[in-house]
Formats: sequence, structure tokens, C-alpha cells
Amino acid sequence: MEEQDKLKILKELLLTEEKEFADSIAQKVEELTKIVHQKKELSYKVDPIIDDKLEEFVEEIPKTLGPTITEALKEEIKNSQDAVVEALFPIIGKMIKKYIAQEMRLLSENISRSTKKAFSFKRWFRNTKARASGVTEGDIAINDYAKPRLIQMFVIEKNSGILISDFSPLSDDTIDKDMVAGMLTAIKGFVEDAFKGGDQNLELIEYELYTIHIQNFYSYYVAAVISGAYTIMFKEVLEDQILDFAKNHISKKELENNTLFTKKLKTHFTDEIV
Amino acid sequence: MKLSKKVVLLGHFGVGKTSLFRRFMDNEFSEEYKVTLGVQIKKKVIQLPDGRELSMVVWDIEGHSDSVKDTRKSYLLGSHAFIYVYDLTREETYLHLNKDIAHLTENYTKVPIKVLGNKLDLVNEKEIKNHLTEQNIPYDCLTSAKTNKNVQDFFSDLAKELIE
Repeated sequence: MEEQDKLKILKELLLTEEKEFADSIAQKVEELTKIVHQKKELSYKVDPIIDDKLEEFVEEIPKTLGPTITEALKEEIKNSQDAVVEALFPIIGKMIKKYIAQEMRLLSENISRSTKKAFSFKRWFRNTKARASGVTEGDIAINDYAKPRLIQMFVIEKNSGILISDFSPLSDDTIDKDMVAGMLTAIKGFVEDAFKGGDQNLELIEYELYTIHIQNFYSYYVAAVISGAYTIMFKEVLEDQILDFAKNHISKKELENNTLFTKKLKTHFTDEIV
Repeated sequence: MKLSKKVVLLGHFGVGKTSLFRRFMDNEFSEEYKVTLGVQIKKKVIQLPDGRELSMVVWDIEGHSDSVKDTRKSYLLGSHAFIYVYDLTREETYLHLNKDIAHLTENYTKVPIKVLGNKLDLVNEKEIKNHLTEQNIPYDCLTSAKTNKNVQDFFSDLAKELIE
């Protein structure tokens, strides 16, 4: 055996494992190169198709899925109306508030514009008042319309809630006054009980455009339903008038004779207190 | 001159206070049970035999679970009569009746208390009367809001008593 052959055999004996390992790495590198190359090629070919399809899909969504989504939403709203209303209420409330404020501004501006065109003594007076107070003429006109008015007055026995007398300068007998008197007393009793205010009494209930002014006396209380702006000035005048009426007109005799009582109420109070 | 009296319906949940209230006020009855929350108030004008009229303002208040002591005091103040209602088919609704009556008598001294056993249509009248007597459970009247048995008569008699 020649030297060269011997060396070959020795090489084979010593380096076979390393050679196999080197070969496998080379094969893997080759495979990876192929994949990368193919992916690039594939991407180059496929990407425009995918882009087109996606664009088409976005365009088609409202047409194909739109009705289904709308239907599902409708159904969901129908099934959980309370929850939807609950969620929307504050948002709508804010919108309405903004809208009303805007409309009131417009109304005030309109009134100011139209009043400028017409002449009357009332307008002249309002104009002078506006100049003196620094408030626009329109705002003064609006205030005139929002004047507080007495809608109904009840005199109610404090504990039992029985109606002693009532007076309404504007409306007729459309409501069950005995029921109102009872319910007012129940609400009053509930609030006073629930918040454990000791000897404190419920004095005001606000209901949208109405305010119920409550003035307490020993065995009875007076509830006056007011529409319009219930201002501090109005409250004070109303309180004074009720106190004055109680002092001069309400005695045991009146409390026992409701016909006499109602007559006195009618004479004392008018719809425009202030 | 108008004469008004406040009458309060008392008793456990589900004894039929609202049914009696509706039967008396509007002559209506419903099988559907709705819990009364707080209070509902209605007035009925009763023509008395002597020609006078009485406005009976009835307060139908939410039922209590254990004792009449749980009832909101402000609802009971100023009452001219209490009607304590129990369910003839549910013993637990008259189990503490005597204690409840004692509590009312003690705290509302001048207010008369009428005791009503309701749902008479669901029991045998003779048997239930015997049972109540044996158990020492008082009653002024046994009624059925469903069939209207004794309801109108009971309220008419109460009106007469209130005026006397």
C-alpha cells in the first residue's frame, strides 16, 4: 500500500463524521436559500393579487355585511332598550342642553332685533331698563315670559296627608287633588324619614318646568306648585305671603271648615305673586 | 262640608292588600302579582245612609316581611283606621298578628284596627273559621278580593264607623 492510500484511509477514519456534518450544513443552507428565493418570488407575484382582493373586500363590506350588521344591531337595541337608553341618556341630555342654550341665544337675538324695529312705551321702558342694567333687551323680554306663576296651591294636614283646602288660579279640576295631597305627604314623609334629618322638613320638589314650594307649619303644610323661574326673590315673596296668610287667616275654625278656607285662599293669592 | 279620613292597609307581602284596594276603588281584580313599592293612594267618596259623604283616602303601603314594626312610621301617622290584612292560605302571615296588633295599639292609641282574612275563595269558610278560633287568631271580616265577597260591605261598615 502506498503512502497516499494510507493517508486516505486515515483521513476517512478520522474525518468522516466532520465531513458528514459539513455536508448536512451545506444542504440546509442550500434549502434555506431556495425558500428565501422562492418566498421573494412568490411574494412578488401574490402581493398585488392580495392587495386587489383586500381593496375589493373593503369596498364590498358595506354591501355584503352591512345589512347583517345593521340587523344584528337593531335586534340588540331592541332586546336591551333600557341599557341603550341608559347609555345614551347623558349624551342626549348634554346635546339637548347645548341645543337649548344655542336656541335661547338665537331667540334673544331675534327678539332684540325685532324689538329694535318697533316702537312702544313698553319697549321704550324695557330699552331703558336694559341700558341701565347692562342686560340685552331680548333677555329682559324672555325673563318677562319666564315669570313665575302660581299654578296650584294645597293646604295639607301634616301627618295624615288629607287635603284641607286647595286653590288653582289657572287650571280646572282635572287632577285628583286628594291623591296628590296624599302622595306629596308620602314623599315628604319618606324623604324626611330616609335621611334622618331630625326635625328638618322637605321644602322643595323640582319637576321639569315646575317647582313645588313646601312651607311647613305645626299641624299642616302649604304646597305651592309654581311654573316658570323659581328665583330666590320669588321664593322670599311667596314665603312672606304664605306666612302672612297663615298668621292672619288660618285658625282652628278655618282648618275645620274647608269651604271657608278655600274662599280665603282665593282672595289672598293671585296667579302672579311677584 | 267635606269629610275626609285616612285609612291604611297593612300586612305581609302578598296577602292581597293591593287586590282589596283595587277591588274597593275600581272594582277590578288581576291574578298578576306585582309588589307594591312605597305607597299608592286613592280616594273614594262613600255616600252614607244619612246623606252625608265621606272621602275615604286609602293608603296601600308595601307589605312587611316580619313585623308591622318594619313599616315606615311616616305612612302610619295621622291615620283614622288601620286595616290589617292576612292571607288565609299562609299561616306565616298571621303568625305574629297578635304581637303586631299590640304594637299598633300601643303606638297609635286612638286609631281603630280592623283585621281582615283575605283569599277566602281558596279555603273552606267553615273550616278556616274553626282553625282561626282554635289558633286564637282574630278577624273582623273574611274577604275575597277575587270574587268581591264581603269587600264592599266591609268598607261601607268601616265608613259608618269612621263617621260616628
